[in-house]
Amino acid sequence: MQFESLQNSWQRAIGPFKEFGAIAGALYAADQVLRRLSPRMGIYVYELMVQPIGGKKLLPANLAKNLTFAEIGRGHPAIDLMPARPEIKIARFDQGAICLGVFRREKLIGYAWFCFNTYEEDEVRCTYALAVPDQSVFDFDFYILPEHRMGIGFLAVWHGANEYLRARDIRYTFSRLTRFNVASRRAHAHLGWKCVGKALFFQAWRVELMLATLAPFIFFSWSEKSRPRFQLWPDKLLAQDVGQVGDMR
Amino acid sequence: MNDETELLTNYIRTETGYAGDIDPDEDLIEVGILDSFSIVSLTMFAQEQFRVEFEGEELVRENIAKLSTLVALIRQKQSSADT
Repeated sequence: MQFESLQNSWQRAIGPFKEFGAIAGALYAADQVLRRLSPRMGIYVYELMVQPIGGKKLLPANLAKNLTFAEIGRGHPAIDLMPARPEIKIARFDQGAICLGVFRREKLIGYAWFCFNTYEEDEVRCTYALAVPDQSVFDFDFYILPEHRMGIGFLAVWHGANEYLRARDIRYTFSRLTRFNVASRRAHAHLGWKCVGKALFFQAWRVELMLATLAPFIFFSWSEKSRPRFQLWPDKLLAQDVGQVGDMR
Repeated sequence: MNDETELLTNYIRTETGYAGDIDPDEDLIEVGILDSFSIVSLTMFAQEQFRVEFEGEELVRENIAKLSTLVALIRQKQSSADT
């Protein structure tokens, strides 16, 4: 009995290292320890990604049938189906973000949010600025409703998003993925994403320390007004060979 | 193993590199052989290979996560196309 308990504890302890690798596993473990000490402490590890918006449709016509996509504005009933906290959704609209919903027979399948100039990160203090805003967007909170996962939900939402962005001559979409979200990383790799940089934030109450592979590289922030700003250049970033290259099929 | 199952099994092996046994009644998502993207690739392959057209609504987990249910859906489509 005691041996089994020890074995389970060992498996739990080494689980993150097996899943994320040595460095990310250690960061994950450190984050868990900090959060137990105080909910106001933690470590955020992000990968900044860029994906070209290709001309190829992601779904064949028969599977895209009955799919529609439309902007979801303030007060739309679909807003209440989104799991983000109400104040977060209000803050997103306040910063000019657009929410694109994808529907099948008028029923919401999933959605994605986009910012066209800058995106103010809502987990940590950080601003992502699009250097070429007429060609690029920043997408975040890409969400598929649970009943539509493991079907065509993921591709249906990306299909709608690509159509929407292509119609606006957008060529690149940037995003940040949490390093510990393995499922999301795997799914996005299929869409041809490239990792263009990494950022780590250590948060303790009001204080945040940022280390990144992109300028400004190191940043110490102690108030809402001091935020590091990442300038995201699509062509320059696509030319870099940093991180893994996704498999575009 | 029927022809459809064998073809689909070979496709999964080629696409995912999975070399173990595949039970047609096994939930391939649950056991980690397929993910949300590869399962759609598999159904697209099935469409082309067996000349059937699925509806988006049909591509839900209970129809496509097991080879046996996917083959049943293919046959249902083929027979409705014949009539």
